[in-house]
Amino acid sequence: MTALVLGLVLSAYAPQQAGSALLDPPREARVQALGKEIRCPMCQGLSIADSGSSAARAQMDKVRELVAAGKTDQEIRDFFTSRYGEWALLDPPASGMNLLVWALPLALLIVGGFAIARTMRRPAPASAAPEPTEDRPTAEDPYLEAVRAEMRR
Amino acid sequence: MSRRGLWIGLSLAAVTAVLLFVLAKGFGRDPHEVPFQMRGKPAPDFTLKRLDTGAPVTLSDLKGKPLVLNFWASWCMPCKAEHPVIAWGAKRFGQDVQFYGVVFEDTAENARGFAGNPDPSFPQLYDDHSRMAVDYGVTGVPETYFIDAQGIIRDKVAAPVDPRLLAEKIAALRQPGPVSEVVR
Repeated sequence: MTALVLGLVLSAYAPQQAGSALLDPPREARVQALGKEIRCPMCQGLSIADSGSSAARAQMDKVRELVAAGKTDQEIRDFFTSRYGEWALLDPPASGMNLLVWALPLALLIVGGFAIARTMRRPAPASAAPEPTEDRPTAEDPYLEAVRAEMRR
Repeated sequence: MSRRGLWIGLSLAAVTAVLLFVLAKGFGRDPHEVPFQMRGKPAPDFTLKRLDTGAPVTLSDLKGKPLVLNFWASWCMPCKAEHPVIAWGAKRFGQDVQFYGVVFEDTAENARGFAGNPDPSFPQLYDDHSRMAVDYGVTGVPETYFIDAQGIIRDKVAAPVDPRLLAEKIAALRQPGPVSEVVR
């Protein structure tokens, strides 16, 4: 039984393979920066630079290979989006359908704000003005005069 | 209602409708589903060594006949269950379709000991450091790619295949045009 459990546990993980050799510091910095932009396909919201999974390591190797081959940052992003779509980018560009996600809340805010401002500026109907009540104190109210005299003392 | 009020109401309704559409589209899909963009594109070339003989195999060697590529690993439990299905397919359709297994993120030693031994009915290739898997957009194992005789990726199944699904995909591989994707 113990052997079975150990076998199941140990066999459930991919053997870790070493990543490719690091490039010189400026190019390796590019590799790491690009790795932070690309989403790991086997993880939950992690970049391939931050993930410890074997698939992420393989993708980082690919980024390194493309940087070493002299590809631009955009060409490297395009390599991954041509395989996984914009899903591969942790920060997808604000264009096309993505633009709607940014523009719609703003449009809703503007239209809503305009509607509220318009409602608030509208003059209140005359019938809605409060009627003076009989028990409201007036300048001639003897009790109010008495209180004021008391306060003046 | 005034004309101005009507316009504001209509604008609010339109913006809300579009927002709801975008949200429904976003929430209506599985967030774990990785889009498959390689359908209809030429399969990237590769040179891999056979696990048994070490002989190199390239994609150009395999063109001219439909190809089924099954990515698997010895540490992948669903791959063990799926392996006999692919072996069955290789025996059943091997006359006019080529079947190859590709070892993904594994050691050659572990792969050789996979489930007793990989079934000899279809050859296994060793993808060192998963370079080919990244080129093909593999997101995990098991994944099975269906490539036509011209070397165009026609479909992939990102889940274990069963005999019926495999037979359907191979039948579709012989037809012109792409077929639907099955996702994990």
